[in-house]
Parts: sequence; C-alpha cells; structure tokens
Amino acid sequence: MPRLHLGDWVDSGVNWLVAHMSWLFDAVRAVVEGMYDGIDAVLTAPAPLLLAGILAVLAWWLRGLAAGVLAFAGFALIDSLALWDQAMSTLALVLVATVVALAISIPLGILAARSKAVSSAVRPALDLLQTMPSMVLLIPAILFFGLGTAAGVVATLVFALAPGVRMTELGIRQVDAELVEAAEAFGTRPRDTLLRVQLPLALPTIMAGVNQVIMLGLSMVVIAGMVGTGGLGGAVNEAIGQLDIGYGFEAGVGIVVLAIYLDRVTSALGTQLSPLGRRAAARAPRTTLTYRPRPVVAAVGAIVLALVAGGLGIFGSSTGTAAAAKDDVGKGKEIKIGYIPWDEGIASTYLWKEILEERGYKVTTTQYAAGPLYTGVATGQLDFQTDAWLPTTHAEYWKKYGKQLDDLGSWYQRTSLELTVPSYVKDVDSLADLKAHASEFGGKIVGIEPSAGMMGLLKDKVLKEYGLDGSYQVVDGSTPAMLAELKRDYARKQPVVVTLWSPHWAYSDYKLKKLKDPKGAWGKGDGVHTVARKGFAQDDPQVASWLKHFSMTEKQLTGLEAQIQKAGKGQEQQAVKTWLGQHPGLVDTWAPVERGSKDQAAG
Amino acid sequence: MSASLEADHLFKVFGRRPEAAVDRLRQGADRKELRAEGTTAAVIDASFTVEAGRIFVVMGLSGSGKSTLLRMLNGLLEPTAGQVRFDGRDLTALDERELREVRSRKISMVFQHFALFPHRSVRDNAAYGLEVQGVPRAERERRADEALALCGLAGWEDSWPDELSGGMQQRVGLARALATDADLLLMDESFSALDPLIRRDMQDQLLELQRTLKKTIVFITHDLNEAMRLGDRIAVMRDGRIVQNGTAEDILLRPADDYVASFTQDVDRSRVLTAGAVMDPEVRGDEADCGCETAAPDTPVAELCAISARTGHPVAVLDGDGTLVGVVPRGRLVAFLGDEPDRPAACDGARRVPDARRSPDRGPAADAKEVTARA
Repeated sequence: MPRLHLGDWVDSGVNWLVAHMSWLFDAVRAVVEGMYDGIDAVLTAPAPLLLAGILAVLAWWLRGLAAGVLAFAGFALIDSLALWDQAMSTLALVLVATVVALAISIPLGILAARSKAVSSAVRPALDLLQTMPSMVLLIPAILFFGLGTAAGVVATLVFALAPGVRMTELGIRQVDAELVEAAEAFGTRPRDTLLRVQLPLALPTIMAGVNQVIMLGLSMVVIAGMVGTGGLGGAVNEAIGQLDIGYGFEAGVGIVVLAIYLDRVTSALGTQLSPLGRRAAARAPRTTLTYRPRPVVAAVGAIVLALVAGGLGIFGSSTGTAAAAKDDVGKGKEIKIGYIPWDEGIASTYLWKEILEERGYKVTTTQYAAGPLYTGVATGQLDFQTDAWLPTTHAEYWKKYGKQLDDLGSWYQRTSLELTVPSYVKDVDSLADLKAHASEFGGKIVGIEPSAGMMGLLKDKVLKEYGLDGSYQVVDGSTPAMLAELKRDYARKQPVVVTLWSPHWAYSDYKLKKLKDPKGAWGKGDGVHTVARKGFAQDDPQVASWLKHFSMTEKQLTGLEAQIQKAGKGQEQQAVKTWLGQHPGLVDTWAPVERGSKDQAAG
Repeated sequence: MSASLEADHLFKVFGRRPEAAVDRLRQGADRKELRAEGTTAAVIDASFTVEAGRIFVVMGLSGSGKSTLLRMLNGLLEPTAGQVRFDGRDLTALDERELREVRSRKISMVFQHFALFPHRSVRDNAAYGLEVQGVPRAERERRADEALALCGLAGWEDSWPDELSGGMQQRVGLARALATDADLLLMDESFSALDPLIRRDMQDQLLELQRTLKKTIVFITHDLNEAMRLGDRIAVMRDGRIVQNGTAEDILLRPADDYVASFTQDVDRSRVLTAGAVMDPEVRGDEADCGCETAAPDTPVAELCAISARTGHPVAVLDGDGTLVGVVPRGRLVAFLGDEPDRPAACDGARRVPDARRSPDRGPAADAKEVTARA
C-alpha cells in the first residue's frame, strides 16, 4: 500500500487556515469571548448565595419546591467548597457553548429534516466531530482561536453539536406525516407548517437534544480546562496533575451539581415550552414537593433577589485592588504567565507573579497542559512560562516550537530523570540490578506519556545500555496514571518500577529509591528553563533580564513548595508572600531595581 | 354553493423519467412492465366528473391508487399528466402560492386517522383552516364553534383531541373541513378507522349534513357497502385504473368485469337495490287496482320484501304521479337477492304445491312458478 500523507495535508491545511483565515477566527473569538465575559460578569456580580437563591427560584418555578430547595443546597455546597468562581466560569462557558451550538445545530437539523441531501451530507460530518478524540481537535482549536475561552468553547461546541442536529432532525421527521399533510391540505405555507405544526410537536425531542448538548458540553469542560479556560475543568486538571483525589472530587462534585441543575431545568423548560407537556404537567397530581409558584410570583421573587444582589454588588465591589507598589517599575503593564500544574511550575510561577506585582506589573497566571502551554507561548498569547524541561523532557515541544521561543536560561539545574522503585524493594539499587529481577516486577516499567522526551530516551537508550529490552516492557500511559499505579502498589508493598524525575513531590510523600545509573545512560539532567515568546525580551527587557538571572537552590525550591503545599489550594500566592517574608531580600536579589540613595533598604 | 369537479386523463407515475412512462402507458404498456424498471404507475388515465353537490366515491383496495388520485385533486401531488378542473379553473396550471390559496378557501380534506393537531384544543383545530386564511380570532372561533355544533360537538370546544373518542375526533376533523366553507370536500378513508357502529353513525351524519350543505364530495373507501351507502356515483379502481364508474345499481347489476363482480358478492343487495331496479316493467294495468300496499321506484328491496310479505300477490310499483310503472313478483325479489339471473328449472316431482297463504315460507316458490309461466 502506498503511504497516504493525510496527516501532512491536514497539517498544511491548518497552517493555511491560520495564515489566511485569521480575520474570521478573530471575529469568532471576539464574539465568543464577548458573550462569555458578559455572562460571567452577570453570574459573578451578585454574592454567591444570592445567585444561588435566584437559580433556586428558577428551579422552583420550572419544577417545583423540592427542586428549588435542592438547587439552593447544591449551589450552597459549591460555595462552601470555595469553588464558586470556578463553577460560575464553567457555567458561563457551558452556556455560551450551548447557545452557539443551538444557533448552529437547530437550523442545521431543520434543513437536514427537510432535505435528504443535507441529511446525508451532515451525518458523516457529525460522526467525525463526535467521535474524533477531542484532544486531536484541541490543538488546531488553539492555533485558530488562541488559548482560553474561545478555544474551549469551540472544542466543547464541536463535541456537543451532534446531538443538537440529530435530535432536531429526528424530532421533525417523527412528526406524523398525516399532520404535515393536513397542514398542507389547508394551504399552510411551508414556513408556517414548520412553525405551527412541526416545531411545536418536535419540541420535546428538540429539548432532549438541547439537554444532551448541555450535558456533553459539561463533560467537555475538563478537556477545555487544558487550554486555559480555568473553571472547574481547570481545577480537575490541576487535581489530576497532582494526584489530589480530594480536590479532584470536590471539583467533580461541582460539575455534577451544575450538570444535574442544568439537566433538570432544561427538561422542565422543555415541558413548559411544549403545549402538550404543559397540559400533561397540569394534570399531574400536586403535592407540596411539586408546588410551583405562578410565573408572576416567581418573576417577582427573582427580580427582588436580583435587585438585592445588584445593590450588594454595587456596595460590595469597592474593596479596592492591591495597594500601590513600592517600586513601580511595571506601571501596570500586563504580563501573562502560563504554567503546568507541576509543583516547581506552580511555585516558580506564583513566585514571579508575586515579585512582578510588587514591581508594579499586572500579572495573570493560567494553568494549561504542556502541549497547549507551548502552543500558547509560541503563538505569543502568553509572555513566558518557567517550567520548560530542556533539553530532554520537552524535546518534542522544543523541536516543534523552538524557533518561535526564546530560552531565557535555566533557573534550576539539579533535575534528573530516573527509574525509581519503592525503598522496600530489596537488592535493587541500580539499573544494572533490574535485569535479574524482571519477574519480580512482572517485566513491566510503568511509564508516562509516550510523547515525553524521557520515554524516548528510556526506550532507545537506557534499556539497551543495560540489556533490559528483552526482559522489560515500557507501559505507555500518563503521569497521573503512573502516579496512581505507584500509590496503589506502594500501599500494598508490591514491587514496582516507575519512570520519575526530580524534583518531584513523590519523593517527599513516599520512601523511594532512585536507581543508580553507573553508565550515565540518562545523560546529564535537564535544566528547568524559563521560556518566553519571541520578542518578549525586546518588549520588556527589564523582566527578561530578571528572568535570565533567576536561579533557585534546591533548598529554596523545596522550602517554597512545602509552604505552598501547607497553605492549600487557592492560597498559592499567600504562601509565596509568607515564604518571601521569611526570606527577606530575595525579591531584591531576583528583581533588582535601581534606587535613589534615599530609599531605605527593604525589610 | 358548490361547483363541479372534473378530472381529465390524470396520470401519476413515481420514479425515474415519469413522462416517458406516461407515454408508454398511453401506448398500452402494462403496469407490471414499468414496475420491473423501477417506476410505479400509481394512477393511470383517470377521468371522471363530479356534479356539483354530489358525493363521488372512489372504491378500491389498498395500492389501487385511490389515495394518490385524491391527492392530485387538491394538488398535494402534482399529476404527471392530465388536468384537474374545479369551478372552471385548471388547478394543474396554478403555481404553489395560488394552489395554497385554493386549498385554504375552496378545498378541504378529512383524513383517515383524523390528523388532528394534538397541541391545539378542539376549537383551535376546527379553526385551523380559518387561521391559515387569516380570519381574525373572534370570527374564526365563532365559525369554528358553529361547525363543531353542526357536527354534534357543541360543548366540547375547550377539550383536547386526546380526550375524545375516535368518532368524536373525526367529527372534529369534519368540522375543521366544514369551517372554511370550502366547496369541495376530499375525504380519505375518513371512516375506515372507526368501529362499525360509529362508522354507520358517521355515514348517516354525513348524509344528513349533505342534505343541507350540498357540498361536492370525493370520498375514498375500500368498503363497497360504504361506497354504495354514500355514493351518488362510484368509481372502482384497480391497479391504478378506474375499471368502472357508475351508480351503485350499475356496479351491482352490471359489473364491468369479474373483479368488480367479486366485490359485489359481499354487498347487502337488499339495501342497495330499489324497486325500480328489480320490478318487471311489463304490466297489464290493473295490478294496483286492489287497494293493497304499493311501492315507489326508489323503495329499497329490503322494504319491498316486507311489503311483499304483507301482500299476497306481486307488489305494484307506482311513480310519483301514481302511475303504475311495474310489478315485483316475489320470485323476482328472491332471484335478485340470490343473484340468480336464470329461471327456475322445471321440477317433475309429484309434490303438490301447498297453499301459499297457509305456509308463507313456501310462498316465493309459487310466485316463481307464476313468473315463469308468464314469461
């Protein structure tokens, strides 16, 4: 068979689109982000419990008293888990994605229902969108729309579009042909047949489709979190990256609450919108649990709450931003930092956020998966990131994006790649010892993402060097899966060998043994580099020079990481402040400012 | 006010190159030949005229093309060839917009499965056609209520279709068709989905309404009894062609072919045939002189049998002016009911014919002898 270079064609197609259609993507991006910002602003304006009240009144009106009470409890739970802002940002994201998805899918579904040709053309396209792994679509989405909301919405949209189209088509096709004929026999215009007969009767099915669109959209927020949309998806990704079961569960519960609320409210909305559903609902027996206020009452309730909310918003929002910085070098200039939720990444990113804010910059930090992070910096949407493991671990990314990036040098040298076993595994201290114990480990080395540089190194060099390629197999997977496997085997005191690197929190959580590498097969360890977008050094020479000269010792880094770990989620910057307070003078070392003689020393 | 409907050499062919198929059909090609090529000739060369204010029934089994024929009359299907003229207008020449206008004002339709809109109340269903016409709400509701009352549904206006029985639902369907005041009513197996007693009721009601409304009605059915009850004229369709077009009596007494004849076997002749059809027009002139009960030419045979049972001799048939137009001997009645055109065979048995008066069950035999003797 000749090799079909489909991948190359797609590659060049995407490149062409990026080069020539950027005006279109920019327009889409502007619209989507405008919608998102608008909705998010509305959702985050009132105090959490007030908005919970408004949402509860909505559920009460549409479904009944029990639904209202449960909705309030659910949103109060989100608030008490300190996930309110994330939840609202996710809600806004899903709403925007849903609105856009419906704006596309319902007309498309109507067209497909009316024309066989459209239907058979649309169907394979929908199959493609729905089954193509979403991660595959994510990278082009970033290239087209940039990191953040727009790419997240588009990724969600693409996935959620299909049920909207399918259910609309199905709903309309399901309408009894005799009814459509009856409408035509009385001289109804095609448009009126659609509006007066087909759509009202298809409404329950269409609303089921809307419901599916929302549910699929919610299931996509985790994926969307990888491209920096933040919200609950970002929280879940962060928890996965750190194997933080508790935090992951909390964020997951937040998503579930949103899902159940949106599901119940949209299905009730479907009932209320359809004349048949309204009638069926009116005939159902009434109990206290299903008591529903009249629309007027509900509207008044919601408006009162909204007014209260608005009032509080006006008086409550003037808490003021940070006090004026001492050494205002940045003068409010914006700097965008991206990071991977790895310990040293979080620590160094928040460290720089704090330092730069003290120097008068306005800093935003966003969390990404490694791939999107490199894409983001390379396309100039982010200014820099501090967690590039070069030359080995991130070799693939560097190969692809290196030309569009500026390496500002490494700030931490003492990294190493290694194979690691728990310390209870006896007689295995070096890579050379592995061969004899292959059966003990089941001939398995638990690896991480196959794209990671260290995996290539392991398979191509390390195994050969120690003659392990016959007796061991490297299991591809992911970092969280590797860590979970380690945790599981560690708890049961099973022998296991994993790929790991230093620094890593696993070394402080578990008693582990790095296997010695007498032949030096792993090579010299990576440095942790700071990587900036091309041109950042010209735009901001001061910050670039600070970053170039930045370096941390192992003691400083582990100390800071421990401080952050202690402070808990959401308190990273506070932890950095505390740590800097304990280590006075570091800010001036890392970000020196020319001062006049009358300035007193920092203290 | 009603207008006449005329169908002129209508063809409907589904599939590829329908016009070519019509040409071949005109040259005598068979429906089966076309089917082998993947084209379906649903209606082949159908022509008929429906007089204003009459009920025209199209009778045929499923697949005979009767529903297709009906849908060409209001343009839901466009004929492949031929014309439909209604009220002097050629409907096949109208564009979509004009056709919709005609459908909304001049032609109504009643469906087999009622086709009521489940998301509209009974009143809103009945008012649907008027709503399409753009009649203001107050007026269309008044007229819908009138139509509903006409169909015996006063008081049900605010109900919903799924709260009504099948018969009542079809009354709503009928009211919806009548509310627009259309001149032409197309009824597609409208009573087929109802159980027999309700169906009878509905037939009676339709005939009752028709007496005052005088619509032009095309009624589709697969039930010859229904066709004979309702139809002023009946067209029998088979394999897309109209094989016979005539009155109920024509169909029953002079079936065009064996196919039509096979249908008539199940028909209750005594309700369809009348004295005019069974009487012997050769009269001596004194048969009505005795003062016994007489019949009129349109007296159904069922009633005639009763009269015959009450009179000892052949029943005299008098027309509207009291002129004697024929006699019905009992033997003739029996022969018609039994669909036996031949005379009784001669019997050489020694059995004596008993007195008719004492044993009425043997009576017709005696009459039969008399008929034979006279003939």
